[in-house]
Amino acid sequence: MSNSTYKVPIGPQHPALKEPENFLLTVDGEEIIDVKIRLGYVHRGGEKAFENRTYVQGLYLIERVCGICAMAHQLCYVNNLEPMMDVEAPPRAQYIRTIVAELERVHSHLLWLGVAAHEIGFDTLFMYCWRDREVSLDLMEMITGNRVLHAANTIGGVRRDLTADMISKTRKGIALLKKRTEYYKKLVLAEKTILKRALGVGILSTKDAAELCAVGPTARASNVKKDVRKDDPYSAYDEIPFNLITYDLCDVASRVLVRVDELIESANIIEYSLDHLPTGPIGVRAPRSIPPGENVSIVEAPRGEDIHYCKSNGTDKPERYKVRAPTLGNWASMAKMLIGGYVADVPITLAAIDPCMSCTDRVAFIDANSGKNWIWSTEQIKKYSKKNGGR
Amino acid sequence: MLSDISKEQEIVNNLKDKFGDKIIEAKVQSARRVFVTIDSKSLIKVTKFLAKEKNYTHVATISGLDLVKNLAVIYHLREYHSKEQFITLSLKVEVAKDKPKLPTIITIIPGAELYEREVHDLFGIVFEGHPDLSPLILPEHWPSGVYPLRKEYKLEDIKTKIEKVKK
Repeated sequence: MSNSTYKVPIGPQHPALKEPENFLLTVDGEEIIDVKIRLGYVHRGGEKAFENRTYVQGLYLIERVCGICAMAHQLCYVNNLEPMMDVEAPPRAQYIRTIVAELERVHSHLLWLGVAAHEIGFDTLFMYCWRDREVSLDLMEMITGNRVLHAANTIGGVRRDLTADMISKTRKGIALLKKRTEYYKKLVLAEKTILKRALGVGILSTKDAAELCAVGPTARASNVKKDVRKDDPYSAYDEIPFNLITYDLCDVASRVLVRVDELIESANIIEYSLDHLPTGPIGVRAPRSIPPGENVSIVEAPRGEDIHYCKSNGTDKPERYKVRAPTLGNWASMAKMLIGGYVADVPITLAAIDPCMSCTDRVAFIDANSGKNWIWSTEQIKKYSKKNGGR
Repeated sequence: MLSDISKEQEIVNNLKDKFGDKIIEAKVQSARRVFVTIDSKSLIKVTKFLAKEKNYTHVATISGLDLVKNLAVIYHLREYHSKEQFITLSLKVEVAKDKPKLPTIITIIPGAELYEREVHDLFGIVFEGHPDLSPLILPEHWPSGVYPLRKEYKLEDIKTKIEKVKK
């Protein structure tokens, strides 16, 4: 047995990976028998950085954990700090937060659907999905001012109010996306290219998903009924009716279907929130420092739950700020999915948990590319940016 | 807003009844948030009780914490198959900084594997019985014995230490 196995490194630089991580596969012929994970290639020292910054500065740093789920992380951050400061965001702010968070889920799931299509060689669908994703990005730009890194929240509320014009434009955009998503669902269920590459690939049983603490759509695609928006409601989710989507195929196809259905649910949540948008202020004043204490907050990001832990010490800077992004919670499950599968299915199985390496790697100090370590100062980054046409 | 916290109070009472003075502190912070500090010697017993008898089978993450004199590890545990809204129970244990050793909990909750590796990287806490504590996130040439999230390592110190290794 040991004579016939080989070790195949995937990453940190590999065509199948969109971001750098390393997976050392032990293969017997085409079959994968073991996986070893090595992370850290895009670590930026986030958790240490929080300890050296004020809570207000942290509000913007937290978004940099991940460009795709910036809103989810920031929402988790403010949800963590607000009870510690003894402030509560007004109802209108809670609804606006919900709307932006769901728009982010729409953009992230469409992005994922596109990437998944690309990984199985179905680039037409990839182009369609990414075209539609622009609609949600444009809506977020209109509402928050930014396509990504929205900075929608502030401690005690949101930064911008929704105008009547914004509401009607959002309704139009969401109606369009809902129509398109329904078409994609029909396509996913009928198109042989997708079914051949997705059915029975990357199996994660319900028992394994529970034992390995899988989160988000990955867990729900293995029939684990678990969604923070239902289980531990925040913002306006306890007032909004929506369905918790699960599928029991436990494979890549299941993960596609969960996300497609969630796109429709998100559209419904946004429409409901717009219909029931409360009137009133969008923010309250919050103190700069927090008395000694600790708190945990959880938010359902597009990829699964974000959990943040904060320990305060009475100053305007946290004693400790811990961030766990959903991808780290899903690596163990992903290793399980790969084992017993074929090398050719690695890209789609990896893509199926919707990994976000930057999210996972939020803590490091340096870039460890091919063994070389270095740190760039702000000046060097500016110089590099200028050299490459930046301002 | 007053919410019903009887379920939260119940788990705190259960722990107090079962483990008595091994529970150093137990409080219900708010709805669905419970913080419990226990004696590190009882870690396995308490985790087993929570997982096997109370269905706290999900570890959301493990946070390391530097308390200057001691280090602390917080296991953020959760009910998994509960139909109602779930409670997040943060189980805290303290360990001495000069002898940072704890038993691994992966025999009880397999999902803790990567989190323990992460805390080992960043705080230097050794989880005895863990099958693989090789670096998960720190680079290959990281100076040994430098645990970046401990308070004694300031940003500048880490920078100098890395540069030294580079040379």
